[in-house]
Amino acid sequence: MQDTGRNSVVDVAFEGALLDAALIDRGRVLERLRLRDAAFRHLTRIAAFAVLIILGGIIISLIHGSWLALSTYGIGFLYTEVWNPVTEKFGAIAPIYGTIVTSFTAMLIAVPVGLFISLFLTELCPMWLRRPIGIAIELLAGIPSIIYGIWGLFVFAPFLQQTLQPFLIDTLGEIPIIGNLFAGPPYGIGILTAGLILAIMVLPFITSISRDVFEAVPPVLKEAAYGVGCTTWEVVRYVVLPYARVGVIGGVMLGLGRALGETMAVTFVIGNAHRISSSILAPGTTISATIANEFTEAVGDLYTSSLIALGLILFVITFIVLAIARLMLLRMNARVGG
Amino acid sequence: MSLATFTTPTVNRPQSSAEGLSEKITVRDLDFFYGDHRALKSISMPFYQSKVTALIGPSGCGKSTFLRILNRMYDLYPNQRAAGHVRLDNEDILAPSQDLNLLRAKVGMVFQKPTPFPMTIYENIAFGIRLYEKLPKSEIDDRVKHCLQRAALWEEVKDKMNANGLSLSGGQQQRLCIARTVAVRPEVILFDEPCSALDPISTAKIEELIDELKEDYTIAIVTHNMQQAARVSDFTAFMYLGELVEYGETTQIFTSPSDRRTQDYITGRFG
Amino acid sequence: MAVEVSSALYNTRRRRNMVAVGLAFGATGFGLLWLVFILAELLWKGFSGLSLEVFTQMTPPPGGSGGLLNPIAGSILMTVLAVMIGTPLGILAGTYMAEYGRYDRLTTVVRFINDILLSAPSIVIGLFIYEIMVAQMGHFSGWAGAISLAVIVIPVVVRTTEDMLTLVPDTLREAAASIGLPRSLMIQKVAYKAARAGMVTGVLLAVARISGETAPLLFTALNNQFWSLDMNAPVSSLPVVIFQFALSPYHDWQQLAWTGALIITMAVLALSIIARVLASKRKTS
Repeated sequence: MQDTGRNSVVDVAFEGALLDAALIDRGRVLERLRLRDAAFRHLTRIAAFAVLIILGGIIISLIHGSWLALSTYGIGFLYTEVWNPVTEKFGAIAPIYGTIVTSFTAMLIAVPVGLFISLFLTELCPMWLRRPIGIAIELLAGIPSIIYGIWGLFVFAPFLQQTLQPFLIDTLGEIPIIGNLFAGPPYGIGILTAGLILAIMVLPFITSISRDVFEAVPPVLKEAAYGVGCTTWEVVRYVVLPYARVGVIGGVMLGLGRALGETMAVTFVIGNAHRISSSILAPGTTISATIANEFTEAVGDLYTSSLIALGLILFVITFIVLAIARLMLLRMNARVGG
Repeated sequence: MSLATFTTPTVNRPQSSAEGLSEKITVRDLDFFYGDHRALKSISMPFYQSKVTALIGPSGCGKSTFLRILNRMYDLYPNQRAAGHVRLDNEDILAPSQDLNLLRAKVGMVFQKPTPFPMTIYENIAFGIRLYEKLPKSEIDDRVKHCLQRAALWEEVKDKMNANGLSLSGGQQQRLCIARTVAVRPEVILFDEPCSALDPISTAKIEELIDELKEDYTIAIVTHNMQQAARVSDFTAFMYLGELVEYGETTQIFTSPSDRRTQDYITGRFG
Repeated sequence: MAVEVSSALYNTRRRRNMVAVGLAFGATGFGLLWLVFILAELLWKGFSGLSLEVFTQMTPPPGGSGGLLNPIAGSILMTVLAVMIGTPLGILAGTYMAEYGRYDRLTTVVRFINDILLSAPSIVIGLFIYEIMVAQMGHFSGWAGAISLAVIVIPVVVRTTEDMLTLVPDTLREAAASIGLPRSLMIQKVAYKAARAGMVTGVLLAVARISGETAPLLFTALNNQFWSLDMNAPVSSLPVVIFQFALSPYHDWQQLAWTGALIITMAVLALSIIARVLASKRKTS
């Protein structure tokens, strides 16, 4: 019979006495642990608060730093174009305009391309190719933005200067009214170039979020559509997209939030001109490019404060966009039941 | 409330309850709530020392819920509360002043799904020992070996004590969990459907184990397998829709139940 | 009786589908094209400047030759410090959200705010640290740089810690509780162990993210053309040096900028690959 090491009656009785002693000791051990246990719990709670404190700190410090500029210029700061460090007259409209236009251009390109790539990855791509392409997209997402910046400056901008820009000037530039958008000498750098680089940067982001969202659509829905003879495009258009719509919009807004705040990719190629031109081929500036280029050179409290005020404006814009994005993604998750 | 009134039977009790059997756990008028929903209704029954008590009943009758009150496992989750009296020896374990960790050291639990810790086999057991006692390594080695022997696992793992606990088969993992529970030297062991995830051979081994373990521990087992309850337990409680319908010696419950519902369940009319 | 299929309608549908499919293929090719272009150019231009000097010499004055030793050292130093500061804080916060406070209000709010901080413009973080550290201290410093990077690390670690700990099954927690383990010990000795691979992945991803960050360093750690490990003074970093050199008119500096860019990209890619390997090992174990 297998020896299970069972104790004899004597052992059991003896162990009983030991057990009582052990119980008292156990009580003492647990008592000692109680303090450390509570301390750990409080520590984690404080750390959780720290996240909120960081946000609060950002908002407060930005308001504090920009107070001088905001109180000097008032609301006019938002729509003044002049930016003159010498006369100490600063206005934010040119950077704001540049930020919005470059981001808008980027989304205009990145969203359709990203959605179509997601379509490809979820419906058309052969299984063995899916993972490599997915990894490739993630590689694109992982490249630091400064790489996009120098690539843009040394490679992409000259390329555009030789090819796309002359093309646009000669074709769309000739059309009345719209032509003004594409007027001007081909600088190479400029608002359009910055927008295009941003598009390439934001593309992997949009792709991976919309791919996740597309994959969350229950296969039974798609099978039902295929089952009645729908083409791939019809399945995507009438089943996948409506179902995933909220999630896609959330992803798009997340990408927009990223694009708005992007600094290095844009700074190299935007041209740093503090003015609003009608042509998107002209140089301009964005909020983050302005700050990046001028902050360390800024002399005088008003100058510095104006730059921080720009930062505050950027933070408010991105905060609103990101908050909406998160809310939409939460709704999508609730819907899928995830 | 004196202990005498506390032990007055409110449900079918066997005559032999007075003969040489002491109540390790006494439950009286126990209610349990998930939020506002009353899941257990006025349960009263004993758990006798060194005996195996089985809780049977159809799905959703509350037997697992009941079991998990005995070591206050429900306390980990919000919106769940118990009302009534549950005495372990002479302490009311539902009292807010009850030290939960100490309670759980006295009342161990083996779960439906084997859950070894993500550590080596040795560590899985030494971990619990080290928590309470400062012992030299040689003594811990002995204790670990002892626990694995009691769980009938020693022969199978003695050469791979440093292997990860998750590398064992399902039946072995469950026996490891039993060894882990025994290592902490509890007085009561609760088994929550311990064999439902296991194959028949592992199930037989564990039933054999329970039979040996009851010499030193008070055992309560929840099972949806009536034959298992009949094989393994000394006393059986049949529960239905959150109520204790009938309680008695296992042989009596299974051969001549008093309540119609018990009869129907045992003969397979429902559940 | 079979349904009459209108061939005109059917053909239109087919054509539309083919256009869409074509666009999908085209879009994918378009996306991959840029990846190839960028990486190829980076490898080409960066590699030609790669030599032993790059890793052993300081940054040169304009027109001279030299290397990237001090920016590399500065970057590594600040990155390590940022991780050492940000990771414990992030893990603790994530632990609260997944364990103690899983169902409470604070967690919902923190999760929302954390996700916003995750995508916040890093230049704003730089301004924040400038205001509370540089302006207060009166000078730029490596500490300010490290802390601004830490502020970027924290949301990443919080998110991955919470996600990974939530994946640990409750039955494991109950098993630990059933032997009388107090909550904090259960978290430290069981939950962390179970979630360890995922949490390490999170840290690696955070490191990859801050390796390429330039904007927050521009006015916190500034730059330093000499060898200095004094954290109380401006410290050189690779991204900032690339920024400075690339925008300069000097060819030698531009070459070093490309080489530096290659080094950063390789480091980021290596970290991402390691993180991915760890993640898949977790799945198979």
